[in-house]
Amino acid sequence: MMPRAAVLPPPDFLPEPDMAEPLIEVQNLAVDFLSAEGPLRAVDDVSLSVERGRTLGIVGESGSGKSVTSLALMGLLPRRSARVSGSVRLDGRELLDLPETALRDLRGDVISMIFQEPMTSLNPAYRVGDQIAEAVERHRGGNAAAAWTRAVEMLRRVGVPSPELRARDYPHRLSGGMRQRVMIAMALACDPDLLIADEPTTALDVTIQAQILHLMGELQREAGTGIILVSHDLSVIAETCDEVAVMYAGQVVERAPVAAIFEAPEHPYTLGLLGALPARRARAGGARQRLPVIPGTVPQLHEMPRGCRFQGRCPFRIARCAEPPPMEPVGPGRESRCWRTPLEALAA
Amino acid sequence: MSRIILRRLMELVPTLLILSVVIFGLQRLLPGDAALAMAGEDATPELIASLRAQYGLDRPLPVQYLDWLGSVLQGDLGRSLRLNAPVGQLLIDRLPVTLQLALMSMLFALAIGLTTGVISAVKRDTRWDHAANVSALIGISVPNFWLGIMMILVFSVGLGWLPASGFTPLSEGLWPGLRSTLMPAIVLGTAIAAIIMRHTRSAMLQTLDSDYVRTARAKGLTERRVVIRHAMRNALTPVITLTALEFGALMSGAILTESIFNLPGFGKLIVDAVYNRDYEVVQGVVLVTALIFVFVNLLADIGYILANPRLRE
Ligand SMILES: Nc1ncnc2c1ncn2[C@@H]1O[C@H](COP(=O)(O)OP(=O)(O)OP(=O)(O)O)[C@@H](O)[C@H]1O
Ligand code: SF4
Ligand SMILES: [Mg+2]
Repeated sequence: MMPRAAVLPPPDFLPEPDMAEPLIEVQNLAVDFLSAEGPLRAVDDVSLSVERGRTLGIVGESGSGKSVTSLALMGLLPRRSARVSGSVRLDGRELLDLPETALRDLRGDVISMIFQEPMTSLNPAYRVGDQIAEAVERHRGGNAAAAWTRAVEMLRRVGVPSPELRARDYPHRLSGGMRQRVMIAMALACDPDLLIADEPTTALDVTIQAQILHLMGELQREAGTGIILVSHDLSVIAETCDEVAVMYAGQVVERAPVAAIFEAPEHPYTLGLLGALPARRARAGGARQRLPVIPGTVPQLHEMPRGCRFQGRCPFRIARCAEPPPMEPVGPGRESRCWRTPLEALAA
Repeated sequence: MSRIILRRLMELVPTLLILSVVIFGLQRLLPGDAALAMAGEDATPELIASLRAQYGLDRPLPVQYLDWLGSVLQGDLGRSLRLNAPVGQLLIDRLPVTLQLALMSMLFALAIGLTTGVISAVKRDTRWDHAANVSALIGISVPNFWLGIMMILVFSVGLGWLPASGFTPLSEGLWPGLRSTLMPAIVLGTAIAAIIMRHTRSAMLQTLDSDYVRTARAKGLTERRVVIRHAMRNALTPVITLTALEFGALMSGAILTESIFNLPGFGKLIVDAVYNRDYEVVQGVVLVTALIFVFVNLLADIGYILANPRLRE
């Protein structure tokens, strides 16, 4: 980024863009699903932020609320059955207060998402080129031919071979990897400021996974896109993210710069993810890519413990853990939700 | 694509053969035969035997079948002994009535069934949705004859808007023609509208919840475009098949409806023919009805293939 002051002093009646203001800032996000037995809280007190050109990783076991959080940011949770509260500020604008029509203008343009399910996320009835072009036409206007050209160009950029031909294919003709590339092309077609990628590579084999992550990084460097990358895969997080948020049972339990979290995790659950829980150290080898298995299971939504949600599986549990621990700063740019952090002394 | 359609056409051959055997066979299973009916109550066995010989009824069944099939393939459906007219001519006279009734009630059923089904799904769990579901249940349960009589009482006897019975051919004017089958078409189409509505609704609920509809929303498309272009497009293909199958229910429902409204169509023809043991006519009506059904389903299958990119290639 070029320092503007060096070229021209900013006119003092215009406020200098506040570089410290994050692209997206989420505060105390909560999602309740309405059910026959009353509301079930799937996401609780989640706070995050991402700056332009940076990547935030979200990790956590299955069911920890990663996808629900992502969909809440997109405003894509079913309005009938989901209640979203808290605050989501994109570029200073409160998204949760925006009317649906205004949100639609942002979706696919300023903020877009790649879904976890590449096999079913494309419409089987239309050619993939048309499905990408549809997003371009929606937000960029112009004629159909220009949108189609853009769709083909995007397919080329995401590394689809012979993009002119593939654009004419229906989704069922493409492999999972190709479909995920189509989804990425679609998500990036309008140069979004924020890209939410929900396990973009889970369904793919390792080489394609690496290609796709590389590609996202490249596009990010070109356009300064902020990325939220949801992943099970700690090695992917380590390689691609600047910051990490660890989710457990609907809450963020630890948030830290990526290097710090791998060096010295502050929450017992993070320790568990890294395979470093004392006495129960998960076996090395085997599923290298996957999260190590932590003994016990994530509590169901309807039987959340009142206190710390990890207490049923935590070797460091003390009496106080029956009370809900707050999210508290534990170092520069770090927060943890545990009564016993800092853990250094305990984990030794 | 043409290969699938060709294969579908080939499958038609055994279907039609089995159909012809069944139509011919069922006929012979009925008690009494045409010779008995023709000869009258106090005919001598000799007279009956000679009549049987005259009409070939004494020959072995397979021979009678092949003989029958041969003439059917040449377009000769036999003669009505009762009405003393070629069966083919009788059918051609009645066909426009039944066809007009069938098409009108199908259009009615599709128009009502598709729109309410789609709107119900989009507005699921609202008052509108509940009302539509209750109406569909009523539409399925109400007997045709009751609905017919009620409509006659209200619109013919009470308001005098529509004729209670009889048929006016389209050649005597578009509106008088359509008017004469309007009530019967609504009576006949009501239950089918309800069935189409319920299938459309559940298919729409499924596609509205699908991942690709979520993708469409993620692109920022308007809800209208999401519903019409992304959800309906996929929900309505199975409804094509369903509609064709319902065409069978419609043809059999036409028999009752035509007698309520006294329309001179296939229904009236076959009812009279059964009473009179007028075999050739019964066979002819069943055959043509079955052929129409098979043809409609063939069209539906081709439509389904055309609407499905996976099958189209
Ligand atoms: N539409 C919904 N209605 C009710 N509950 C839901 C709904 N969607 C998700 N949930 C629940 O919310 C919780 C969080 O689910 P979510 O899909 O966010 O998990 P995740 O972290 O993305 O898991 P995974 O790694 O398997 O993708 C789960 O308990 C899930 O059952
Ligand atoms: S609060 Fe207690 S139970 Fe929860 S993670 Fe910390 S030590 Fe474990
Ligand atoms: Mg998920």
